[in-house]
Amino acid sequence: MTDFGLSADDRELADGVRAGTRRALAKAITLIESVKPEHQTRAEALLDHLLPDTGKAFRVGITGVPGVGKSTFIEALGMQLIEQGHRVAVLAIDPSSSISGGSILGDKTRMEQLSQRDEAFIRPSPSSGSLGGVAEKTREAMLVCEAAGFDVIIVETVGVGQSETAVAGMTDCFVLLQLPNAGDDLQAIKKGVVELADIVVFNKADIDSVAAERAAAQMRAALTMLRPASTRWQPPVLTVSAARRIAMTDFWSAALRHRQIMSESGEFAEKRRHQAQAWMWQLLDSALRHRFRQHPAVAAALPELTRAVEAGTTTPAAAARKLLTMPAHDYDNLKFD
Amino acid sequence: MEYVRTAIKSGLDVDAFAGRLSFFFGIGMNFYLEVAKLRAARLLWWRIMKQFDAKNPKSLMLRTHCQTSGWSLTEQDPYNNVVRTTIEAMAAVFGGTQSLHTNAFDEAIALPTEFSARIARNTQILIQEETHICNVIDPWAGSYMMETLTQDMADAAWATIQEVEKMGGMTHAVDTGWAKLQIEKCAAEKQARIDSNQDVIVGVNKYKLKQQAHVDILEVDNHAVRDSQIARLQKIRGSRDKAKVDAALAALTDAAKAGTGNMLDLAIKAMRLRATVGEISDALEAVYGRHRASHQTVSGVYRGAFGEGENMKSLLEQVETFMAHEGRRPRIMVAKLGQDGHDRGAKVVATAFADLGFDVDVGPLFQTPEEAARQAIENDVHAIGISTLAAGHKTLVPQLIAALKAQGANDIVVFVGGVVPAQDYEFLEKAGVAGIFGPGTPIPEAAHKVLRAISARHAPPSA
Repeated sequence: MTDFGLSADDRELADGVRAGTRRALAKAITLIESVKPEHQTRAEALLDHLLPDTGKAFRVGITGVPGVGKSTFIEALGMQLIEQGHRVAVLAIDPSSSISGGSILGDKTRMEQLSQRDEAFIRPSPSSGSLGGVAEKTREAMLVCEAAGFDVIIVETVGVGQSETAVAGMTDCFVLLQLPNAGDDLQAIKKGVVELADIVVFNKADIDSVAAERAAAQMRAALTMLRPASTRWQPPVLTVSAARRIAMTDFWSAALRHRQIMSESGEFAEKRRHQAQAWMWQLLDSALRHRFRQHPAVAAALPELTRAVEAGTTTPAAAARKLLTMPAHDYDNLKFD
Repeated sequence: MEYVRTAIKSGLDVDAFAGRLSFFFGIGMNFYLEVAKLRAARLLWWRIMKQFDAKNPKSLMLRTHCQTSGWSLTEQDPYNNVVRTTIEAMAAVFGGTQSLHTNAFDEAIALPTEFSARIARNTQILIQEETHICNVIDPWAGSYMMETLTQDMADAAWATIQEVEKMGGMTHAVDTGWAKLQIEKCAAEKQARIDSNQDVIVGVNKYKLKQQAHVDILEVDNHAVRDSQIARLQKIRGSRDKAKVDAALAALTDAAKAGTGNMLDLAIKAMRLRATVGEISDALEAVYGRHRASHQTVSGVYRGAFGEGENMKSLLEQVETFMAHEGRRPRIMVAKLGQDGHDRGAKVVATAFADLGFDVDVGPLFQTPEEAARQAIENDVHAIGISTLAAGHKTLVPQLIAALKAQGANDIVVFVGGVVPAQDYEFLEKAGVAGIFGPGTPIPEAAHKVLRAISARHAPPSA
């Protein structure tokens, strides 16, 4: 076996991850999330090294507007899964401030029981600070968690930004949480997110079960209008109360049924192959874009051309053509590290 | 209003209980405003109780208890706090409070001593017995300025009450975290105004002492208190009739489950049998679950109020430099350990640090040192800031540091902020604390220090 260019320290880190050491796993995720090129090279080597131990977990994505009860839902689900003998990793994406770049990460505060269990690992990550958006980093963090022996990975994202499409693109089962008073919340959640959902769950159904059932019925009707991603799976709409642990087992049964049906039809593996390919292209896109912007000639000309386009003194097409021809003569010298 | 509605709904006549309701106000240093606040509250209570169709004049009267502001006390030059408390006490009296609590001047440092408590009590007695201030009811009535201020306060408060009503009442507002968020927003803005010297705090950001005077404080031995409490508890548990206690607690749980019966009566019965408060709440928790405060934190408020000075710019540049070295933003965890529910300060620090470009993990209330260490390790933070206001630091902080070391996390730097007596500094520093931030530390200054410490440990400045 090759050593993938791992240093002794990183080899120790990889061994720590495989042994399920909490600190090693945490450090590995930090390495992956780093924007420093040198760290990224190390992270790639580490991932290559761990790759044989990945891919075995069930990957579940969960989204919903703030206040829908995502953390409570994950806590209830996680505790239930641990009781069944699973090991659960939760990766949460917290939005960063666009002004300061800093962020508040308070997720664990809301998963008090789960965060104390040895069978659980919870890691909130800021959404900014990584080049191609946090999504790619989360996908890699997921792989490390798998190598550390976690067999259910839950990725949590706030359903109001860009990240939910990315999360749907890295998980096996994508769950949309909704509130029973759907009228207002349907507008807060982007319409496209509903189309991505494999399961829709109305949480807090204990508060007003009639309203919850009505909202669920409306959602079922709406979903029949959409073309499902698979002909074998019509996304079910459930009502639960995570806080009171009502119908949480029904939810998990639905998730398992989804996995079974998808696995039998071969769509489960197909989806993962497709995701891996899309991921590669996404990485290529962001790396190319980044390299392009860093090209000296492009970087020098960009501000003025941008102004010219804004002012209307040149057309966007002409500006783009001009910029594209700049690095053409030395594409061979472009470094993709 | 929620209390009144609930009581009426349960079949009580409004006049049967309204006279027993009372309000608790904190009184700060904005003198005229505090007087107007109480006057406005009286006006609004009358208005609200009229809406509930109260007939008895006692129902329409606002009953208040006031406490001088603990927040306004400073650790620096603490004898100034005697004056602050006096001014606040006078505002409460001018506003017509029925009862009053005056803080001791050393409460920003430690629990009060007999001496500081006596001065605090005498502050009240002086106002009551020497000054003739209490001889006049509503002495500010008729002052154009005060009447206008009162009206403005009443109008603004009424608008807020309407907003809450529209939301579905105060219970809902608390439940969704709206109420807490408003408080945190205010607190972050105020802190930014102090840190940027827009608001003056004597001895803190203006007229500072070169050398702090020594103040005698009360030392509490945490271990001794804990041991004696445990001994008392064991004695009670040993001397009571266990079967009867269990039956009383079961009755409480059953009543909660059924949703009928007089819970207060059942709770008192259990207590008479010497059930503890903990056991009674456990009996109820079995049915209701535990309340969890909605956990939201404001953002952008601190920076907005602070403005974009040189200080801010240099700090943000340092954060950027750190990022270039480390590949990520400085990440800190703000933790509250043990039985210490005062989290406003921690929240202000968290939101301010996030506004200064840090990634901030917020720990839950009542965390054990081991849980905090685990969260810090899992999230791989650069530093932990422990906020302590209930004198537990000498026990809890060393435990946290030991827990971090036990898991090989020597690289996580530990800071302590809050109420820490000067004589404990050495103890904490010996235990491995990298820095201690007393009340009144400007947050950008703390951020500088944190950044320097974690840079030194992670990315040597020569790099």
